[in-house]
Amino acid sequence: MSDSTKPILELTDVGKSFGNIHALRDVSLSVRAGEVTCILGDNGAGKSTMIKIISGLYQHDTGSYHVCGEPMNCSSPRDALDCGIATVYQDLALVPLLPVWRNFFLGSELTIGPWPFRRLDVAAMRRIADDELQKMGIKVPDIDQPVDTLSGGQRQVVAIARAIHFGAKVLILDEPTAALGVKQSGVVLKYISAAREAGLGVIFITHNPHHAYLVGDHFVILRQGTLDLSSPRAELTLDDLTHHMAGGAELDALKHELKRIDAPDVGAVHEKHEQEIGS
Amino acid sequence: MKRLFTRPSAVVAGLAAAALVLAGCSSSGGSQEEEAALDTPTYKIAMVTHGVAGDTFWDIVRKGAEAAATKSNIDFQYSAADETGEQATLVDNAIDQGVDGIALTLAKPDALKGVVKRANEAGIPVVAFNSGIEDWEEVGAMSYYGTDEHLAGTAFGKRLNDEGAKHALCVIQEQGHVALEARCQSLKESFDGKTTKVYVNGSDMTSVQSTLQAKLQSDSSIDYVVTLGAPFALTALGSAKSAGSDAKVATFDTNEQLVNKIKDGSVQFAVDQQPFLQGYLSIDAFWLYLSNGNFAGGSKEPVLTGPAFIDDSNIDDIAKFAANGTR
Amino acid sequence: MATTKSPPRKPASPPSPETVPGGTPARVTQRSLARRFATRPEVGSLVGAVAVFALFFTVAVPFREFDSLSTVLYASSTIGIMAVGVSLLMIGGEFDLSAGVGVITSALAGGMFAYELSLNIWVAAALALGVSLLIGFLNGYLVVKTKLPSFLITLSMFLMLQGLNLAITRWVTGSVASPTISDMDGYASAQKVFSSTFTIGGVNVQITVLWWILFVALATWVLLRTKVGNWIYAAGGNADSARAVGVPVNYTKIGLFMTVAFMAWFVGMHNLFRFSTVQSGEGVGNELIYIAAAVIGGCALMGGWGTAIGAAIGALILGMAQQGVVYAGWNPDLFMFFIGATLLVAVVLNMWVRLRAQRR
Repeated sequence: MSDSTKPILELTDVGKSFGNIHALRDVSLSVRAGEVTCILGDNGAGKSTMIKIISGLYQHDTGSYHVCGEPMNCSSPRDALDCGIATVYQDLALVPLLPVWRNFFLGSELTIGPWPFRRLDVAAMRRIADDELQKMGIKVPDIDQPVDTLSGGQRQVVAIARAIHFGAKVLILDEPTAALGVKQSGVVLKYISAAREAGLGVIFITHNPHHAYLVGDHFVILRQGTLDLSSPRAELTLDDLTHHMAGGAELDALKHELKRIDAPDVGAVHEKHEQEIGS
Repeated sequence: MKRLFTRPSAVVAGLAAAALVLAGCSSSGGSQEEEAALDTPTYKIAMVTHGVAGDTFWDIVRKGAEAAATKSNIDFQYSAADETGEQATLVDNAIDQGVDGIALTLAKPDALKGVVKRANEAGIPVVAFNSGIEDWEEVGAMSYYGTDEHLAGTAFGKRLNDEGAKHALCVIQEQGHVALEARCQSLKESFDGKTTKVYVNGSDMTSVQSTLQAKLQSDSSIDYVVTLGAPFALTALGSAKSAGSDAKVATFDTNEQLVNKIKDGSVQFAVDQQPFLQGYLSIDAFWLYLSNGNFAGGSKEPVLTGPAFIDDSNIDDIAKFAANGTR
Repeated sequence: MATTKSPPRKPASPPSPETVPGGTPARVTQRSLARRFATRPEVGSLVGAVAVFALFFTVAVPFREFDSLSTVLYASSTIGIMAVGVSLLMIGGEFDLSAGVGVITSALAGGMFAYELSLNIWVAAALALGVSLLIGFLNGYLVVKTKLPSFLITLSMFLMLQGLNLAITRWVTGSVASPTISDMDGYASAQKVFSSTFTIGGVNVQITVLWWILFVALATWVLLRTKVGNWIYAAGGNADSARAVGVPVNYTKIGLFMTVAFMAWFVGMHNLFRFSTVQSGEGVGNELIYIAAAVIGGCALMGGWGTAIGAAIGALILGMAQQGVVYAGWNPDLFMFFIGATLLVAVVLNMWVRLRAQRR
């Protein structure tokens, strides 16, 4: 987790606009192996635009995007996957009715035999899926059961294990804890830290500073499409982070303003009101 | 993916457009050519039938009507809908266009009473043909050209008696069709042997094939299959063969292929109602009426176009015309 | 240096398997074989098929003959071949309402190409295949391109084809049926492939029955044992997810529409070589029969679930119901009612079996 290691993924002054709207402006970000980079921000701050650029769904308009020092020209999620960038979306990119092992290998199926007799290597796929899940510490009762019979946390883990298995160098997790309770969130956070130990660069998108601070090494806060904060863990406390997240300097100004104006006014209204009632 | 699809889509759109244009040309070309042919006054006549699109019978009706239209310099419009409601809408449409006359099939007379009344109020004469022999006068049509389904069915039944048939299977291709039911019913009444009815899905030939096959397998006493349309007679031949049945096939109505089958003896006979004549007469009636005030049948009696038997005695004469698709 | 200042973290070893995170109760162990079997999509319909068979076997004496079975299988096969394509498409999350008239379009095209251009029958059949595949491609392309429900796109295609069938046939042949081609080169060999009979134990069986079995087997293999099969389930189950992990969803869907078109071509050729002439107004209404076969066989209307074998059983139920009513000699006026009632019983039974299997 030293700052000297070369970033495996680097955005420099990246911008993206849709018509007149600047969704993202001059955003820079470095992701290093074995580090968890947390991206925080309100709804509409540009988080999802940023992930979509990183994962190849969108092309950036300005700035540069490098992976392992090479300029990145991902034009599709498939390309991004080939570059080692795997995204675990909020909906997890799992197909509910498909068995766990089929989901695990969806889009990257193992096959044997020559065309036209090329077929799925079912035995290998089932074995590998089971092994990988066990490595991540979950034991699915039946690798053939449909994914929607798993719990929310388990499904997250299936998606993460899949990304790791397919050689992800960078794992992007889009709000993995958003829909989960405390206990389930804890499970997912453990796997995030497991992924870091496995040497992956993890981008953890969340709006929960507490979750972020539990696992993060580097913190980025987006506000209205621009970088509001980019700081290593060393230079930040949880309070700082929460404070920034809640609005930072703007919040201070607001607090100050409210203090100055509201106190007397509120009082006056109350007094007046009381007088009216009294009379 | 975008790049890949741009070119095929353009080609496809071009082909589709070409097909549409070509199809459009052929239907409008006919009447345009006709207009210049004669210098008698041009009348615009609409024909509205309950015929199912793509049925050879109605195709022959239409050819008869077109022949009359060409001869008499009539601007002819054909439309059809097998749902009575839609048929009524088409009549309304013709009235709104201000046509000079409407030729109409009265498959469900009561349902069409309203629009015929509206046409008459607008001063548009209406001729009924093909169906509605009982009701055309009451509905308000000025004349009727066609056959009587009861007459045809009765004649068919008597012919079966002459042929020595014992058990006839009456094949109805559309459930609840008044004219088809009437044919079977009258056949049953005049036929001395047993009559069994079976419904088939007229819009799926493979299903007709297997249903008839099933029926023939389940009752080996059936010795005559009576179909109510020419294409079904052809299919019935195949069904009888597959089922290993010796049943003979006879039918109402004809078309080109059927005439050939009568010629080679595989279909015994057909009762024809002369669809060409129905189409021709009902259009010609307007020319006679509009240009000279003539009524066929004196507006009291229907003009019968059938039943006429086609069998090995007269098939050679008819085969010539059938090859043109007009018998 | 960052590590030293950060607050102590738990060692990042993954939790041991015994704790089963995510709260899966330990009581859910290996699902029993019986239950696994009972939750297969085609099992409910199999029960329905057995019930319908038993019903007609009991009430209709002629139904018990092997010849009758052959007729039923033939009727089922013409529905079933189409149901193979339609069920794959439905698993992939789309509908094709143009499938019924598509059959006739292909047959008309084959007949007219052969007759009007005086082509060898096989060349005409190949051209007809081109026409069918083009229609299928157009359906698929429009669906993935416009992102409109396939219901609307293929409904439009259905109506357009219905009109074109009639208009082009009329324009080309001057009649509303395709010309007879039974005396042309290659007709006999084409008939052997698409519409001949063979004899098993004294019973004549239509070759379409064999093709049907072959197509079902092939579709089942593709669905369960190939990459493409995985993609079909994924495209229907959750297209966005599938796309996100790199499944070519659009190609898959277009391919499925073209598969339906291929089957339509096949059944169209059967029609052409069985009857040698085809009426241009046929085929309307059959699209619902094909969809019904797929749904009875356990295909989900929303996609992502179903099997080709299920659709085959669905086709068999429909074939048995249609022919069984005739064999039973029930009042022909109630023909449609009996078919409907049989279907209803089969479908309800199907659902009941599935619900019971899931509850257990």
